[in-house]
Amino acid sequence: MTDSFEPEIVAFCCHYCAYTAADMAGSKRISYPPNVKIIRVPCTGKVDAIHIMKALEKGADGVYVAGCLEGDCHFKTGNIRAAHRVRRVQALLEEIGVEPERVEMITMSAGMGERFAKTARDFTEKIRQLGPSPVKTAARDFRRRAVS
Amino acid sequence: MITAVRKPMEEIIACVEPYDRILLVGCNECVSVCSAGGRKEVALLASALHMHFMKQGKTMDIREITLERQCDPEYVEELVTSVDGSDAILSMACGCGVQTIAARYREKPVFPAVNTTFMGASERQGVWSERCQGCGDCVLGITGGICPIARCSKRLMNGPCGGSTKGKCEIDANVDCAWQLIWDRLKALGLERRIEDIMEAKDWRTSRDGGPRKIIREDLAS
Amino acid sequence: MNTRETDKQSVLVIGGGVGGIRAALDLAESRRDVVLIDKSYSIGGLMTRLDRTFPTNNCDLCTISPHLSESGRQLRLDLKPMTVVEQVEGQAGDFRVTIRTLPRYIDVEKCTACGECAEKFPDWIRFTPGLDPRAPTCMRYPQATPYAFSVDADKVTDFDALQKACKVGAIITDDKEKTETLSVASIILSTGAELFDPAVLDNFGGGQFPNVVTGLEYERLMSASGPTLGQLARPSDNKRPARVAWIQCVGSRGINRQDVPYCSSVCCMYALKEAIVTKERFAEDIEASIFYMDMRTCGKDYELYLNRAVNEYGVNLVRSRPHSVVEDPETGNLVITYATDDDERHKTEVFDMVVLSTGFRIPASTRELAGRLGIDLNEHGYAQTSGFSPVATSRPGIYVCGVSESPKDIPETMIQASAAAAMAGTQLHLEQDTGAEEEDFPPEIDVSGQDPRVGVFVCDCGPNIGDVITVSALVEEVRSFPGVAYAEAVGYGCSKESMDKMESLIREHGLNRVVIGGCSPRTHETKFQDMMRCCGLNKYLVEIVNIRDQDTWVHTDRPADATRKAVKMLEMGVHAVARAHPLMEHSLPMNQNVLVVGGGVTGMNAALILSDQGFRVYLVEREARLGGIARNIRATLEGDDVGRYITELAEKVTADQRIQVLTQSIIVDHKGMPGRFTTGIQTGPRMHYMQIEHGVSILATGALANRPGQYLLGEDDRVMTQLDMDAKIADDPESVRSMEQAVMIQCVGSREPGNPNCSRICCQSAIKNALRMKNLNPDMQIYVLYRDMRTYGFQEDYYREARKQGVKFIRYEPERRPEVRADKDDLAVCVYDEVLGRSLEISADALVLSTGLIADDETTEDLSVMFHLPRSDDGYFLEDHVKLRPTDMSVRGFFVAGTAHAPKSIRESITQAQAAAGRAQTLLAKQWINLGASVAKVEGDKCAACLICVRVCPYNVPYINAEGYSEIDPARCHGCGTCVADCPARAIQLMQYEDDQILAKLDGLFERMN
Repeated sequence: MTDSFEPEIVAFCCHYCAYTAADMAGSKRISYPPNVKIIRVPCTGKVDAIHIMKALEKGADGVYVAGCLEGDCHFKTGNIRAAHRVRRVQALLEEIGVEPERVEMITMSAGMGERFAKTARDFTEKIRQLGPSPVKTAARDFRRRAVS
Repeated sequence: MITAVRKPMEEIIACVEPYDRILLVGCNECVSVCSAGGRKEVALLASALHMHFMKQGKTMDIREITLERQCDPEYVEELVTSVDGSDAILSMACGCGVQTIAARYREKPVFPAVNTTFMGASERQGVWSERCQGCGDCVLGITGGICPIARCSKRLMNGPCGGSTKGKCEIDANVDCAWQLIWDRLKALGLERRIEDIMEAKDWRTSRDGGPRKIIREDLAS
Repeated sequence: MNTRETDKQSVLVIGGGVGGIRAALDLAESRRDVVLIDKSYSIGGLMTRLDRTFPTNNCDLCTISPHLSESGRQLRLDLKPMTVVEQVEGQAGDFRVTIRTLPRYIDVEKCTACGECAEKFPDWIRFTPGLDPRAPTCMRYPQATPYAFSVDADKVTDFDALQKACKVGAIITDDKEKTETLSVASIILSTGAELFDPAVLDNFGGGQFPNVVTGLEYERLMSASGPTLGQLARPSDNKRPARVAWIQCVGSRGINRQDVPYCSSVCCMYALKEAIVTKERFAEDIEASIFYMDMRTCGKDYELYLNRAVNEYGVNLVRSRPHSVVEDPETGNLVITYATDDDERHKTEVFDMVVLSTGFRIPASTRELAGRLGIDLNEHGYAQTSGFSPVATSRPGIYVCGVSESPKDIPETMIQASAAAAMAGTQLHLEQDTGAEEEDFPPEIDVSGQDPRVGVFVCDCGPNIGDVITVSALVEEVRSFPGVAYAEAVGYGCSKESMDKMESLIREHGLNRVVIGGCSPRTHETKFQDMMRCCGLNKYLVEIVNIRDQDTWVHTDRPADATRKAVKMLEMGVHAVARAHPLMEHSLPMNQNVLVVGGGVTGMNAALILSDQGFRVYLVEREARLGGIARNIRATLEGDDVGRYITELAEKVTADQRIQVLTQSIIVDHKGMPGRFTTGIQTGPRMHYMQIEHGVSILATGALANRPGQYLLGEDDRVMTQLDMDAKIADDPESVRSMEQAVMIQCVGSREPGNPNCSRICCQSAIKNALRMKNLNPDMQIYVLYRDMRTYGFQEDYYREARKQGVKFIRYEPERRPEVRADKDDLAVCVYDEVLGRSLEISADALVLSTGLIADDETTEDLSVMFHLPRSDDGYFLEDHVKLRPTDMSVRGFFVAGTAHAPKSIRESITQAQAAAGRAQTLLAKQWINLGASVAKVEGDKCAACLICVRVCPYNVPYINAEGYSEIDPARCHGCGTCVADCPARAIQLMQYEDDQILAKLDGLFERMN
């Protein structure tokens, strides 16, 4: 089953940078894995630790928060707050035995279509290597057992 | 304010593992203010527990409720409808809250999800420091507003000791010497001579030495 | 209101750099029609090519985007790229301008910016939004840069093939050059300048050695979207340099053949910025050295930037104008030969890269344009203006802003652009907001209580979506989603035809929520929101799912995956929109009165412009008479008579019917929201209390003349400030004439602990007074003891003139300050001269101290507390954005101008006064002030009053109210959501991005997966 494993990845993207960079990757036709699904936020400062946790709980194999380059936040410090929250979630995941690498903070500018695509590729590949989220696999195995 | 920090997940998990239905109760007072046990932390802990048990192939039923204040029986009464549907209660309040719940819902096991730490003040966003030990006989009026009991590592009533170097305590260079602070403050007030007044041995009976304490306001208690 | 002609006249803005854009947007926002032309095929100008800008080291271009609705912009702003001016006839208020537009071969109305053409024929299509794609895409309105595609007809070999490549038929093969005549009331020139090409110099190796680059080329090397993708690498071998040198004033401040004599004003700061960013972003151990003559960091807080560069980043400053740069052909390294003041021998030093700080030059094309416009240029080729009319050219009705007027940085350009817009607007009637533009929608249907009936419309965008996924099959699948009442494919969703169809389907099927599967909400959300409003639905009940830019465009070769992803994306959209609820855009009726605080030059100028536009102005002045600090100034450096100007200005203000002058008045209380303020004032000798209702406020409270107790000032009559000397020259010329020797000391009380910033005006004051003293007595010996001579821009001409007339300039170091010795008969100044290497004692009949300005700390503190406005560390008012919004303040409806903002000259103060008046009109032009809907909202009963929101808000908006819970003023909330995510009680929600909507998207994504 791991051979055909296609990770589900959620990317919380800031409207002013990463979301625009994703559009830029589009207009330049730079391909990246379709595994990444984007949720647009006005600023990564809006991304709550709970959103990241819930994404994993509901079935994501990896989550990343993509905000503006340091010093470029449209709202001054939202990206810095987001980075702190990502670190906190990573620590919490470690405590419950989920690989903290499944969550990451990434920064880029609006013009970096290339970087958006590369980030999506790299992150997807990383999660592919990590394998399916232990949360999901156990639940699925359990269900399978229950059915049989 | 009472400050607290969440217990290690391992410990929390060990407590609730035997059960299938958990009532997770937050408190909207001190532990909310110090970001240890308000609605946000309740949601995060619930999610973490869900994920942990999903990993074990177990579906844990977790109900989240945050009370206005867990140390008042009236607020704790609000749990009455939810308690029946759960096997155990996990409280994110300070020890007072945990005990109020335990006293009210005797038939359910109650577990603390946080370690109650100290009575402290907020220095700035995300930083809290111990400021009071509730000795029951406040000396702040003669120590320039700096408590030697809460802030001196040795609780010296006549300091500083020989371990005070450049304003710092010998136990840790990041800890201010309380008696240096007291001296600086008294000097700023022009009261530096007070430092020479010897404080007599403190009567600790007002503190824990007299056993568990109680306040009864006759006019209110009726 | 004035009764001027109201025929549809407009303002022509020539040049689409940041200045031109700012001016055009200001005019459009204040309800005036604008035509913005640029000879290039896209707009953005020089700023879009910069990596980051000082002093924030941010990009920030997105901040320029105004609160301008799409309809408003389309109605008011006509953008014509590839267009030049042919001829100008007529006069102010009634120009006829002939313009010529080159063929673009692309119909921008039809072009969907799919990029097919550029993909197939990259050589024929121009699509370079600046050199740095970051900036234009940062702009919130990508439509403003009309998709920036154009065809290079010279290169096209097969127009038929090109036409076939475009599926929407936007290629116009027979596009012709067009000439048209516009009727305009006024014209703004903002064509900017070029940067000097150092290849014409033979000593620095520019254009000759690969590792010698210009400042702008270096920006490109640092930029993430530059040729090295943000890997700072030197051109010769792509290695990261370990030692970089900057050489200042290349081609500027010189007298050689290729040089210009003036100072370009921006190079010191950009060199410092490049040095800091080099160390900060690439490697701390890269050695950065700047070779300079005078470090001219005289802008607001720029001195702090300089100090940080030196003290925190270890940037090495070498005071020297190098002799030459020679390349070592083996290594590509560069040898700089130079000499310093303290050592007569030449030194050599080896660097890996040399950056030449080149300045501004006026291109020949601007000189020709000036000829066609019939305006005068000064001796350096910049537009000639007069002392007290800083943005008016020699021809009435034609205004200038930005570098076309004089070398300047971005904040000054922004100020001047707003000023030019304000002045150009005075030629036009200000059209009152009748509300007709916005209110053309049926009343909103109340959907509360209704179950969601979601309609999904999937656009195929021609082949862009349709060729990758089968839209009909996708729609079929979407129909099965819970909550979806209707789903349909709609061809080109944004075409008029499809929009009409969707509108009728929404009505027919009683849909109350809509999902559009198509392109990016960044570009098309407003359009579909307007469609919702046409259907009587709240505009926040539509969700745009970006299946073009973020799906079919990037998974073209994997149609099955793209289809699966589109399904999931639409499912997320359906889930989210089902939880959307109607949002009210907060709007307030706009009070049309203006409060101007401060009756100096700045306040009076702002008041006059606004009164001229028909607004009632309350001008509050603390003193008994108008004029402010400028009353103490007699002449400017350029020789203009300040006294007469102030008197006339005060007379005009006093006589103005619409300006109520309140002297001897102070502000005592203040409340209200932007657009509706109430301010309490105590006025007159008896401190009578009155209240003023006003919609906007302009702070022009000025600064104080500094009089620090240094160098015997106030103790010895022979010691005075530049202001004292200025008055003495005018009032008592005989005593000045009799002086044989005079000494001036610069930076007294400035650029030192306690007042670390530069006062900006003292160098020019010293030069001004020195020249006037020389004029009275040519034999007088004048010594100016200085640290850096900061005669920026054309002031350099006067500095040169002073040296020519024999004024002696002796530099001192702050560690070795001059000393003053005085007895009854003799006053002497002792200074260490670095060049001579010994101390000099100069006896003086007068010692003139350049003491500059300090903030009026008490006043700004009082007002900042009352108005909730931030201040800088040194007590000046802090603007909303130091780069792009230098006149706006963080509270909407407040503007700052003059020396209350930072030390500046009279001319610069007038410019900012005009800018503030212009910016104020962008609000005053509206009957209603729209505050948007995406704001944070507190649920009071959940709030624990923990103060976290108060502490984390980047704009200091939340506060704990009298009821004991946090309150967020929707008028001031910027909508970032930081407080929401940090609230430990989950008591705050950000409208439009509520938690349950975000979680619903996750449900949509995963629900059917597990």
